[in-house]
Formats: sequence, C-alpha cells, structure tokens
Amino acid sequence: MNTADTVVAIDGLVKHYGKVEAVRGIDLKVARGEVFGFLGPNGSGKSTTIRCLLGLLRPTAGRINAFGLDATRDGVEMRRRLTYVPGELRLPDRLTGMELATSFGHLRGGFDPTRRDQLAERLRLDLHRRLRDLSTGNRRKVALLLAFLFDAELIVLDEPTNGLDPLMQREFLAMVREARAAGATVFLSSHSLSEVQRAADRVAILRAGKLVAQGTVAELRGRARQRIEVWFEEDPPTAELQALPGMVDPVVDDHRFTATLSGSIQPLLSLLAHCHVGSMLVEEPDLEEAFLDLYDGGPA
Amino acid sequence: MNGRILELVGGPLRAMRRAIFWWSLGLAALIAMTIAVWPAFKGSSGISQAMDQLPSGVVQAFGLADFGTPAGFLRGNLYDFFVPLLLAAAAVLFVNGQTAGEEASGRMELYLAQPISREAVLLGRVVAAVIALVVVTVVMLLAQLASDAAFDLQINIRFVLSTIVLSGLLAAFHGSLAVAVAGIRGRPSLVLAIGLGAAFAGLIANSLFPLSAVIAPWRHLSPWDWAFGGNPLENATGLWRYAALAVPTIVLTAVGVFAVARRDISGA
Repeated sequence: MNTADTVVAIDGLVKHYGKVEAVRGIDLKVARGEVFGFLGPNGSGKSTTIRCLLGLLRPTAGRINAFGLDATRDGVEMRRRLTYVPGELRLPDRLTGMELATSFGHLRGGFDPTRRDQLAERLRLDLHRRLRDLSTGNRRKVALLLAFLFDAELIVLDEPTNGLDPLMQREFLAMVREARAAGATVFLSSHSLSEVQRAADRVAILRAGKLVAQGTVAELRGRARQRIEVWFEEDPPTAELQALPGMVDPVVDDHRFTATLSGSIQPLLSLLAHCHVGSMLVEEPDLEEAFLDLYDGGPA
Repeated sequence: MNGRILELVGGPLRAMRRAIFWWSLGLAALIAMTIAVWPAFKGSSGISQAMDQLPSGVVQAFGLADFGTPAGFLRGNLYDFFVPLLLAAAAVLFVNGQTAGEEASGRMELYLAQPISREAVLLGRVVAAVIALVVVTVVMLLAQLASDAAFDLQINIRFVLSTIVLSGLLAAFHGSLAVAVAGIRGRPSLVLAIGLGAAFAGLIANSLFPLSAVIAPWRHLSPWDWAFGGNPLENATGLWRYAALAVPTIVLTAVGVFAVARRDISGA
C-alpha cells in the first residue's frame, strides 16, 4: 500500500490505563476508499484504539495518524476530514435531533438541510422529538445521521448498529456502501462477524489488545469455524461425513449430525445433495470461537 | 466571530438556561425577603445593644456589628457570607455541569470528535458560565436596588454595587478553580469537592481565624478577605481588591485550558 493511499496508519500503538494494558502494540493501515472492519469481542481494545485515533486518548507509546496528520498534534485538522459514531452513545438529552444537527452544522460548517431531511427520512427518524424521548435505536439513528450528514473522507463507526432493528441494519450497510462508492473510507468497529463480513473489504481482528489476524473477508472466512447441524430423513452417511475436509468433532446421534466446520462448506453441500435432508442449520459461532485457531495458543 | 464560536458558547448557555433562571430567582427572592424585614430593624437601638452583649469576636465572625444600620443589616443578613457563598456555589456548579459533568456522562465525546480544539470547547463553556454568573449577579443587583427603594433601606448605591461586584468576582474565582480542576482531571466529585471546599475553607479562615491572635494574620490568605476585608458596604473599595480576585481567576482558567489539552478524555 502506497503512503498516498493510506488513510489511517497505526504504528506500534500501546495504551495503558494505570496497570491495565488496553492496547498492547497494534500496527495496521487502512487504504483510501476501503471499508475496514475492526473486529473483536467486548473489551478487546477496539474503542480505545478508535479514541486514540480521534485524539480523545493520548497513546502510551506508538504513533497513530490519519491523512498523514498526527492524532494528538494535528487533531483539529484531522477531525475536519472525518466523522464519528461513538460506541457508548451519550447525546444531549434536552435537544431535539433537529437542534443537535443544526448545532453540529454550526460547529463543522458545510451543513446541508436538504441532506439532513433526506437522511432522516431514510432512517425513519423524527428529528422534532427530544433526544431523551427517543429509544436506543432512534438515538443511534441520530448519531448515524450526524456521521453521514457531512462530506467526510473517513467515517469512523464504533459498534454503529447497536440497538438498530434488522431493517435499519440493512439500510445502514447500504449507506456504508454508498459512502465508499462516493470515495469515503470507512473504519467499522464491531463485535458482529456477520455485520463486518457483509460490509468490509478487509478485516483486522483484535483480542486482548493485540491484533490476531488481518486480511480480506474472504481469507478470514475461509479460516473461520462454523457450527453445522443437519437432520436427516434417513440414516446419515456417517463415514463420508467424518471424512470430509475441515470437519472437527463430528457427532452422529440417530438422524442428527453435528460438527464444527473449518474451511469451505462446499464439500459438505455436495455430499448432502445426494441425501434426504430434513433441515440444516449453519450457525455462525461467536467471534472468539470462530477465530480460535488464529489465537496463539488460545486465550491470552 | 462566526457560527462556530457562537455555538461553542450558545450551546452550553442553552443547556444552563433553567439553572440560570432558578439561581437568579432564588437569590433575588432571598434578598427581597430579607430586606422586607428591614423596617422592623430600622433605627432599632435595642437590637444593636443586644448584639453588643455578645463577645466581640463572635460579633465580628458573624458580621453582626451595627445590626440596626443599613450597612450592618445587609452585611449580617446577606453579604457577610450567605449571598457570596451561594453565588460561589452557583459558579462552581455552572462550571462543573458544563465541563467535568459533561465529560463524565460521556456527552463531551461527540463534541470533542468535531474539528474543534479542546481549548476552544472548554473556553466556550467558561464564557457561557461567566455569562450565567453575570446574569445572576445583575438580577441580584436589581433585586437589591428595588428592595432598597421599596423598603426604604437607605445606603450608598456605589457601596452596594461594589459589594455585589466583589461577590461576583469571588464566585468567579471559585468557578475558575473548578475550571482548573476540571481541566486537570474531569471528575465531577473532585471539581465539586475542591471548588466548594475552597469556598467554605476561605469563609472559615476569614470569619474564625481572627478569633485567635495566633492564626489571625492567616485570614489574609483567604479570597474572602481580599473581597470583603475593607468592609465594602461602608467604605470605598481599592482597585487592588478587584484585581486580587480577577488575576488569579484568569490564571486558574488558563491552567484549566492548558491542562485539558494534555490529558485523556474519559469515556462514558
């Protein structure tokens, strides 16, 4: 990746809170125009990294910059070119969504009321209600509206779909794709594997303050484990199932077959095409389980 | 001057408008209700004589001297400590609510993620708190002047004005101490403890230290002594007393603004 193509560069980032080591040495680069998924379980250091990027926290060691600007030294200029949705969302309760959008318009400049109204309609958001009267999901929509209201080169989203219903999650993903198509770079932090794999081009996985994997979504999906459960309407082909590549801990219990699959699901589907299958469940494991094999020696 | 600067001050002011209203109303009512009983005290030598029976140290400590005169009445009932203490508390609360309170609640984060320096955000909130304090002080002054006229309390207006301005400056001093603490560490409990604690400590030093000859000189370390040591309800106040409050106020504010840009912002 050329320097000119790099929007976010994190180099040896360390952040301690007293004796707590929240981030323990992260290196990553985010390229211009990509949706970068930042995955990890709660407490893995995602929000701390993002708050360092925004200049809200001062790194204990290492460098973090965006557009070649240092997050601590050139924070104002850097933040002029990005927008942000915090993970722990706290909004000024007494204001309406309209007042908050206008207030941010004054703070940032370049405020377009038409775009505000279009986004509100798209998110099905009533901007005339006081923020304290809004549900968690609607408050999240207000934060999303603010993030997409201004022309930003970088959109930083920390757990942006918390509290959103599935319909709105889909709308959000569409907004992310449109922003990318318009040239924006999106830094998307989430603990939801499915959300990230639907939106991101590349993914970094964080655990206990360290990066445990980086790559394209396709690469990482290929290495992730999925839990498989199949109900047969006949005796299961036990030997063939157990011989499939990537099958871990296969168990046949009467007409029910369970296993964990690492790698492509295609060989399994090819085998099942010749069987009478009543139903099938492919369950996405939680992140930690899904990428267990990426962690050096298991839990840190 | 542009929309951004107006928003940095106007936003916090909007958030404080109810607090400004209730503090103004409360202090104006306190002043009016106190002065409403002045006609019963006016020219009463009996009350002054009764006060004179108390030990002189107690009379001085609680501002009870010359209770039958307009200046003595106002000092003993309002300006010796009651009104300045309440005004200082208002200033500390205004500052705390807009700085450490906002930070601890997590509401500051979205603002600090905008293209504005932390110094500008804090200064905007300081200016808003100063405007709030000025509004409350002006309402107090108007309540005082109106009550003086209504209940025939005859006192030199310049002396009243200077006493109230000194009360406002003393409050600003404690507000700026709150700014400094909030800038260094955005914890509301710490800001309140140091801001209000300093106001009480200064009051005690000013009122009670003179009771002991050994510690009496230390009263001059108290901002309350700088403000009211010259008895401003009865004497013209030297300019140095205003400066003694204004200069540290500016310095403490600068400390807070300097410190806030050099530390972590706490999350929700």
